Amino acid sequence: MRCSRDFDFREQTVMMRHARPSSDRISGQRPTGTSRRDFLNTAAGGFGGLALSTMLSQEADGQSHHLATAKRVIQIFCPGGMSQVDTFDYKPELQKRNGTPFDPGGELQFFASKPGDCRGSHWKFRQHGESGLWMSDLFPQLSQCIDDMSFIYSMHSKTALHGPACFMMNTGFTLPGFPSMGSWVTYGLGSEAENLPSFVVLPDPGGLPPGGIINWGSGFLPATHQATTLDTSNPDQPIADLFPPSDFPKATPAADRDGLTFLNSLNKIHQQSRTGNTELDARIKAYELAARLQLSAPEVTDLTDETAQTRTVYGLDHPDTRSFGRQCLLARRLVEKGVRFVQIYCGAENTTARKIRPNWDSHEDLPRDHGYWGNVLDTGAAALLKDLKQRGLLNDTLVICTTEFGRQPASQGGEALGRDHNAGAFTAWMAGGGIRGGYGFGATDELGFKAVQSPTYSYDLHATALHLLGIDHTRLAFYHNGINRRLTDVHGNVLRDLLR
Amino acid sequence: MRRHGVDHQLRLPIFLLVSIGFTSPLLPAKDPTDDTVGDKVDFSTQIAPLLRTHCIRCHEPENRQGDLSLSNSADLLANDGVIPGNPDQSLLLKLVRTEDGSKPSMPKQGPPLSKDETDLLARWIAEGAEWPNGIEIHSTRTSSDSWWAYQPLAPMPMTPPGASLTTRQKDQNHADPLHNAQLVDHYIRSKLSTRSLKGSPRADRQALIRRLHFDLHGLPPAPELVRAFINDPDPNAYAKLVDQLLRSPHYGERFTRHWLDLAHYADTHGFERDQRRDNAWRYRDYVIDSFNEDKPYNLFLQEQIAGDVLWPQNQASIIATGFLTAGPWDHVGHIETKSPKLRRAARSLDLDDMATQVMTSTLAMTVNCARCHDHKLDPISQREYYQLRAVFSAIKRDDRVISDSALSQYEQQKEAIISKRDTIDYAIGKLEGQGLNLADVVGGGNGFGTGTYRDGIDTRSAKVQTRDFGKLGNVVTNKFVASPFEFIDGVFVPEGHDGDAKIPVTSTGITITGIPTTSGDAWDMIRNGPVASQHSTELSGTDFTQGGHSLLGLHANAGITFDLKAIRSASNWNELRFQTKLGYFGADDGSFADAWIFLDGEKIFTQRQLKRSMGLQTVDLRIPDSAHFLTLIATDGGNGYGMDQIGFGDPKLKPAIHNALAQGDHRELEILRQKRVSLTKRLEELGDPPRFYGPVTVATAPVVQVLERGDAESPTGTPLPPAAMSALKMLNPSLGSLTTPEAERRVALAKWITSDDNPLTARVIVNRIWQWHFGRGLVATSSDFGAGGELPSHPELLDWLANLLIQQQWSLKSLHRVILLSETYQQKSNFAPDNPACKVDADNRLLWRQNPRRIEAEAIRDSVLLVSGKLNRQRGGPGFEDFDYQDAYAPIYTYITADQPDLWRRSIYRYIVRTTPDRFLTTLDCPDPANLTARRETTTTPLQSLTLYNNEFMLRQAGYFAERIEQDFPRNTVQQVQRAFELALARSATERELQIATKLVQQQGLFLLCRSLMNSNEFVYVD
Repeated sequence: MRCSRDFDFREQTVMMRHARPSSDRISGQRPTGTSRRDFLNTAAGGFGGLALSTMLSQEADGQSHHLATAKRVIQIFCPGGMSQVDTFDYKPELQKRNGTPFDPGGELQFFASKPGDCRGSHWKFRQHGESGLWMSDLFPQLSQCIDDMSFIYSMHSKTALHGPACFMMNTGFTLPGFPSMGSWVTYGLGSEAENLPSFVVLPDPGGLPPGGIINWGSGFLPATHQATTLDTSNPDQPIADLFPPSDFPKATPAADRDGLTFLNSLNKIHQQSRTGNTELDARIKAYELAARLQLSAPEVTDLTDETAQTRTVYGLDHPDTRSFGRQCLLARRLVEKGVRFVQIYCGAENTTARKIRPNWDSHEDLPRDHGYWGNVLDTGAAALLKDLKQRGLLNDTLVICTTEFGRQPASQGGEALGRDHNAGAFTAWMAGGGIRGGYGFGATDELGFKAVQSPTYSYDLHATALHLLGIDHTRLAFYHNGINRRLTDVHGNVLRDLLR
Repeated sequence: MRRHGVDHQLRLPIFLLVSIGFTSPLLPAKDPTDDTVGDKVDFSTQIAPLLRTHCIRCHEPENRQGDLSLSNSADLLANDGVIPGNPDQSLLLKLVRTEDGSKPSMPKQGPPLSKDETDLLARWIAEGAEWPNGIEIHSTRTSSDSWWAYQPLAPMPMTPPGASLTTRQKDQNHADPLHNAQLVDHYIRSKLSTRSLKGSPRADRQALIRRLHFDLHGLPPAPELVRAFINDPDPNAYAKLVDQLLRSPHYGERFTRHWLDLAHYADTHGFERDQRRDNAWRYRDYVIDSFNEDKPYNLFLQEQIAGDVLWPQNQASIIATGFLTAGPWDHVGHIETKSPKLRRAARSLDLDDMATQVMTSTLAMTVNCARCHDHKLDPISQREYYQLRAVFSAIKRDDRVISDSALSQYEQQKEAIISKRDTIDYAIGKLEGQGLNLADVVGGGNGFGTGTYRDGIDTRSAKVQTRDFGKLGNVVTNKFVASPFEFIDGVFVPEGHDGDAKIPVTSTGITITGIPTTSGDAWDMIRNGPVASQHSTELSGTDFTQGGHSLLGLHANAGITFDLKAIRSASNWNELRFQTKLGYFGADDGSFADAWIFLDGEKIFTQRQLKRSMGLQTVDLRIPDSAHFLTLIATDGGNGYGMDQIGFGDPKLKPAIHNALAQGDHRELEILRQKRVSLTKRLEELGDPPRFYGPVTVATAPVVQVLERGDAESPTGTPLPPAAMSALKMLNPSLGSLTTPEAERRVALAKWITSDDNPLTARVIVNRIWQWHFGRGLVATSSDFGAGGELPSHPELLDWLANLLIQQQWSLKSLHRVILLSETYQQKSNFAPDNPACKVDADNRLLWRQNPRRIEAEAIRDSVLLVSGKLNRQRGGPGFEDFDYQDAYAPIYTYITADQPDLWRRSIYRYIVRTTPDRFLTTLDCPDPANLTARRETTTTPLQSLTLYNNEFMLRQAGYFAERIEQDFPRNTVQQVQRAFELALARSATERELQIATKLVQQQGLFLLCRSLMNSNEFVYVD
């Protein structure tokens, strides 16, 4: 932390609320000398501070565990359980057996019902790209990116319950209380962003995913590694408490500024007789950094400088695709600014009856619900991949798309239009950041019911993602209640076939 | 370098973490106070960890790959592996180091050694490759049963060796806290003196009173108390203050927060559904009471593990067992799923949580590490872990009555009051012409209160349904189904086909038309009360489930027809009025629905596109005595049926001709109403039923076997009798046989844990108390006394305090006194960076000063409230809810700004939601209640700055703070500033501060000063 000691709030246009800050304000008045890694981690002491600084010194010395091919991650999470057999995992045998009894041999781990008959994909599958991999017609745009994507067809989960399965996919454990991948990554690598948090989450505007905000919690890692959620629907206050509430008359920008100046003086006086306590200095700096965040956060969420074409490609012109498209576009803007880990949710929690399910959990009408969410994901994710590629960012940006579990090859519901949960198989895909394109890993059985070839839990996906970031997953650990905890528990192998 | 090495270990997996394995476990592995930094490479702290990390796994006596062992010096020296003094010729170095950056040939598994590490090896060899005699390195170090923590407490010397006490001191009673405090100082000083260090001077009284208040109450001291203490001529003023603070109920509130961190207590279940746990608070109050009455710690533990068995007559002892069930619970995994496999998995994790919580909090044993395999570090076998689970295998988490007698007494009282109130209601109804309640009729009643609340009628079959439904399957629209209820003709699901459909609405074949197209879907039942997942029962300020109100819940699409003829013949009424308050009870998110009323198939009322924002529609319809059928319909408005919760509030049929009340009746009515008010008050005072969230058990414990790899689907071996850990050799680990009833198993465990011979229990709590007073325990890892944790910095002091605790009948307040009266505790925390101690003991493990500490999230919130003058000191009872609660499949908790007195209670009384934590507190490092939190971490982030500076709660409180001062000292800026400093910081402003603060107040007003003070470093840090 080598922030200028004489940082003066009066010179900063801080605590802006009414006017949207223009970019020249930032570039013109950015305090110099602050290490990029220090943002949001002002040497608080304790385990977290120490561990991070070690990691950073390693990075500075070129001593990360190994050479990284990815610098940052965008993870798209599709809660509710995306059906593999209707999307990425082509199963002609299932199509053939359409309408015949489904008999998985008493092995079925059903969640809500006894299974119906075999039900082939609700969308036609085609081969795409040079790789000739299969993808269903649910994703007409994403299929154009197929040669940049690697698919893991043999994902499975330890549970068919939404909450625990979401936790597992995000933290490696089915129980709450463990750090999410984004927290681990920022714990390991720190931030690259000067004026933004290193781990940003963009929840679905329709609500939180199953299990709530624990999905991106920092568990027992220091709170420094908590995610910051950006509320993209609120350009005036994209981060909670970024500014005082607009209806609080006494907190005017001028008052905010004078108050901070006074606070700074007060803290300096207090510090004079306590020079040994470095945390006090860190806290003074934190207020300076907060002021910078007030400039940078509204700027990054303001999409007005994006071209009309970009907005169209991301689906911002259509009410269905608008919110997820905005999250994808924002993700690109965030990683451009050096944010380390962005997680986007494509779907929310199951709430009371809506016309369309609020996430992928298609128990009664999969054509309706996957139809809706498929279009949403297709538009946003394809736009994101193409945009990243065009800007040269895809090379060192890892894009991951996951769900918490898959769905049954058999139908569910009176009209046989739904599918029940299936922990035995689902598909995840990755792109960019050193991932090989146009490649499929592992396989499910002929009906897509169970991962049979190279079945893999979240561990391998996490290990692979960390590997791409230059981190050995067995060495990224944190002591908690008697155990040195890892994202990959005691498991995990890097899926080397997926690497370029 | 050393610093770097320590840091680095943090990220290594556990089997590499422990620095070295000795054949003799009595040799300390890693003395945390040993900061001696010599120039010479130290084998045990620098070389041994390196060999263990990179080499030993494949090269030890048990696994001599390449016929090479690196386990002891003889092995190493053989074959020129190491040539002392000649690193370049040593084979070891050649194998692990390359000059050209290519991958070295060793290690084969794992990453190559870093340059720092190879340099270190080279230096060590160059310096002579010293390998202390008798030391061997092994790949996994397990602490054996000779590990320090498992040894009996060292016998308590009357005076510690080397303590030079005056005769007077020696003569003093050993129960004298001051005397004992001096002995604490003796232990601390003697360790300091071995490093030629001295303690720091005593802090001044201002610092001490503030420190004590935050430590013991989690609140700042009032300025008057500070002044009185500073000016108190009594030399015993400090000891008096300690006693006074320990007597205050705020003490229990404060220490309960620490204990609940260990119990991972919350007021909801957690996991996906995260439903409410409304009776959990009784356990929280039990803990507060226990601390306040200084319940002996051994008794405190016994009650929490088996109080219901040991003292079944004592309500507090029963509630205490809420400890066992305070952690999270997965409703979907335990109940909702139909998969037995998923249920077994959830259950297994549930038992793990209970066993882990009990052993971690009381004994700092990390038993959970032995779930999948034997403990990698400590002598806890996987079998023992499952034997421990056999103690809990009969326990399920649920609401539980405190005692049958308490419940039946409660219910009798409640029934008596309700019955009296019903009688009065009937009398009032007779006088007022109360009318026949159609909601009650839907609940199977006679219209005068005999129906069952929330019973419903199925629109598909007219059957009575008591449980909640969601979307209905097998719905046939426009099919009239007759009801067996006397006053109800029948029900149906309407679908209007754009007004064309002829929808039958009566058993006599009357049809209606003109209903628009609907989705044809139906949700839940027509209910006496809200429908399933109803957004709210409140509309326009009236909650229709409270205060004598009623609600006929009708989710679109549904219709119901009442038989007026039958009603008339039962009531002897002729001409009627139908009165109701109609509304849309779904969310205010743009959804809407249509409501209709028909009389014999003729439309007499309709409200299209009814929204929540439109509030209540007053309906008052005259019904001629010729009418036979009254039909109520809700349709979805054509935009889907979601959320379309139509409610007919207080739906009444009354005789149309109202008889004027006689004068006497007026008076009687008034009296009846007064009586009703007092009865309602008594009902409120009776409060919640005597239930608490706790263990519900079956008498015979289910069979427990070892689960292979922790997998609930792989039980293996013989059934296991309950047992504790055999590592504690002084105790018999057996807790019973296979046939021992569950109650006795828990008693046996409670007695095993609290035996005076169990050395861990006393050590662990003494260490925790120390941590709560110094910010860090004598054992820094206060929930891990095993080999994965740290060694005690002052082992003799730890044992001496543990002995003292037992000797003083496990009184925690006595222990507090001894620690707080010590000079060690009262030292200054301020120090100059050039203090020589910084070099020797930068981390202050030897306690040459007190540790400055940032106060915890809850203490910040409570302090803000106290300083603003708004703290509501109401104690106990159900937690305050600073959120809007919305019942749904996964209930939605939306936080609101706490800006009313009932939300200004201390944070310990917060209703804690697991999956939706309070963001304000989380930002300030409040931990996730999914975890057992041994020690609060402190971080410093810009988000904290934003939260404290801009959060609406903070701003409003700063406003109240300013108002308070303005009232006390109108128009006198200097006095105002002084008062603000005194309240916020427990001291007056210095001259310089006064100067800049006065200027600020004159220019910007008092509010800004108050806001700034609440953000200042001094406000959140304690010296």
